[in-house]
Amino acid sequence: MICWMYPGQPIAFTDTYSNDPEFQKIALLCQGTTGFNPMESGTSASSLTQSVRLQLHGVCVSLYRSGQLMSQGRGPDLIAEHSMGIYAALAASGSIDSGAALALTCRIGVAMAGMGLHRDYALGCVIGLTSGPLADIAANHGIYLANHNTSRHFLLAGEREKVEAALAEATASGAFSVSIFSCDAPLHTPLIETIAGELRRIVAEYRFSAPRIPLVEHIGQTPLTAAAIPAFLVDELCRPVYWETTYRTLRSRGVTRFQEVGAGSALAKFNRWIDSET
Amino acid sequence: MSDELIEKVKQMIIDSLRIEGMSPDEIDADAPLFGEGLGLDSIDALQLVVAMEKEFGVVVPDAATGSTVFASVRSMAGYIGEHQK
Repeated sequence: MICWMYPGQPIAFTDTYSNDPEFQKIALLCQGTTGFNPMESGTSASSLTQSVRLQLHGVCVSLYRSGQLMSQGRGPDLIAEHSMGIYAALAASGSIDSGAALALTCRIGVAMAGMGLHRDYALGCVIGLTSGPLADIAANHGIYLANHNTSRHFLLAGEREKVEAALAEATASGAFSVSIFSCDAPLHTPLIETIAGELRRIVAEYRFSAPRIPLVEHIGQTPLTAAAIPAFLVDELCRPVYWETTYRTLRSRGVTRFQEVGAGSALAKFNRWIDSET
Repeated sequence: MSDELIEKVKQMIIDSLRIEGMSPDEIDADAPLFGEGLGLDSIDALQLVVAMEKEFGVVVPDAATGSTVFASVRSMAGYIGEHQK
């Protein structure tokens, strides 16, 4: 059984396929839908924030890679998603079209960017500590565990100063490595609930069909139904990503091959780590 | 350090990182592993830390040490040679 995995927002503009006519079509669709051209990446004149442009770039790469794989006749039996990978995953599952996936990504990204106007937020990556000690550190500093990627790889989210303090404590506690990334909003934390009403209004403007290919979500590892998708799109931004649990669940359900469909190879590396502990 | 140890380190990298279609001969012992070289990242680094401990019984305690140890295959072999009991 084959599973396609859709990764979240990349941390840099990579994997552009600007010479490929198929990518150019997606780039034009993105520009027409959002005003952002992924082929211009960091230099685009778009007024969108860097985080939103990276989110759109990631979705464009995923849409392109989906098309490539589909054209090779290698469709999946299941689809899984991580964080902002949900929008391209919905398109791949047949629930929405590519234009709607890009528009949703952009509008939700812009709504979250509004949070960044009032406070400076950041994501902190911690490698090497386990969840227990790291959860204590996060609590000490009033921030959150946003991604549970493997037993030793986590993302923290919250206000930048607090994330910086938590990363310093994580380092002192024996983390192998820590790094910090700017973001518009504290993704996958309850802090997003302050804009949940706005997010619901955006999502309500779209029509979601039942996925033609089962799409397993990263919170409870259930296949999304058409009715459940709108609530999930808001809920997933307010709650952590549980990738390790998702991967192990898919394995236990008979998935034997995982294909990462997007920029980079973070999910494949997480899976490799999880396998090494099995 | 011995050529044999360098070959073992190369094979450990290929196996632990599941690098498909690459043989030890294709890895330059002096090329950087991160960035331009093999393009490894911090997730890979922790995987290598675990593999080194499992295969050679050698501990890399933190990222600061790791940045020196994982500079190249040769530096990894040197560290292993110095710390292996």
